[in-house]
Amino acid sequence: MNGGLRSLQVLLVEDSPGDVRLTQEAFREANVGIHLHVAVDGVEAMAFLRREAPHDSAPRPDFILLDLNLPRMDGREVLASIKADPELRRIPTVILTTSEDEADIVKSYQLQANCYLTKPVEFDAFEGLVRSINDFWLTRVKLPRQGDRR
Amino acid sequence: MTAAIRDITTRKKVEAHLLAEAALQQKIEELNRSNEELGHFAYIASHDLQEPLRMVASYTQLLSRRYKGRLDADADEFIAFAVDGATRMQRLIQDLLAYSRVGTKREALERISSEEALVQALLNLGATIADSGAVVTHDPLPVVLADETQLIQLFQNLIGNGIKYQGPGVPRVHIAAVPDGDTGWAFTVRDNGLGIDAQYFERIFGMFQRLHKREEFAGTGIGLAICKKIVERHGGNISVESTLGLGSTFRFAMAGMATS
Repeated sequence: MNGGLRSLQVLLVEDSPGDVRLTQEAFREANVGIHLHVAVDGVEAMAFLRREAPHDSAPRPDFILLDLNLPRMDGREVLASIKADPELRRIPTVILTTSEDEADIVKSYQLQANCYLTKPVEFDAFEGLVRSINDFWLTRVKLPRQGDRR
Repeated sequence: MTAAIRDITTRKKVEAHLLAEAALQQKIEELNRSNEELGHFAYIASHDLQEPLRMVASYTQLLSRRYKGRLDADADEFIAFAVDGATRMQRLIQDLLAYSRVGTKREALERISSEEALVQALLNLGATIADSGAVVTHDPLPVVLADETQLIQLFQNLIGNGIKYQGPGVPRVHIAAVPDGDTGWAFTVRDNGLGIDAQYFERIFGMFQRLHKREEFAGTGIGLAICKKIVERHGGNISVESTLGLGSTFRFAMAGMATS
């Protein structure tokens, strides 16, 4: 687990079960071997990232996929909290949403999202997007080594 | 005495006239409001339908991809119909959204280069042009007063149609503009395609109007309705001249499209 071969830990923050499964399937179809963790709203995402109960033993993710519209604490607040946290801010956080609203795009970059992606309508295109995420963010990009897991 | 009576009659007539005018004004306001609500409703409905439809489309596509040839022939056929239906509905909703955006997402009219708008439309059509081997040419085009996004969409729809409704052979589309009236411009988009029977010249600009079977040409029948709405929003009109087998020329004039 401590060599270069450990599989990457990805946190998906997404409230729609249909979208969660679709993302899992798209990663599977694209033959991408990652560890996908799911948080269904912003509160759970922050608990996972801060290793608060019941996520005390959660791994520190290497990469975060974040939906914008979430119950309880929405994606913009999650993004702001991540980028305000000296420990968490270095984790690349990518927005993955259906919103094509210019205001959401601008706001996300202001909050230092690492990039902004919209969910394609067609499954083929979605798989292609997941493949691109893998090729770029999870393969080519040099990610910071996540420190001790405890 | 008679003068007084006449005076009263005239006053009554004036009052009645004023009342009728106020009633008419109120009706116009009500109509405008209900039109606006309808436009807003179409926008919200088509926008919110996208989400559940994305689920239906994605999962039927996933079913097809994983299980094609692994169930039985009936299952393959059923799934194929479901995938096709969902895909067509997506196109329909996207076109409906584009149509209602012409009314709801309007930018102020500005002085812009129509040639630059055309270049952007051709960029957007890049894949279509490359796949069809179409040759698209144009004359120098003027600076006009327009909503740039909508002008791009207008060019894109008309040129896209010119490339799409074609027989065998190289599709050719030419765009030109000539002065129209004192300050306006009349644009033409001419193609060498299948052409349109004169009896359909009016009808093709209506919502959901299609002249071909789905197997021949895919489409929702909304493209030209969008064009008409865009042109009318610019205070102009759009028409077509065509001879079957020889191609069509779409002409749109915009009164407000004055140069300087």
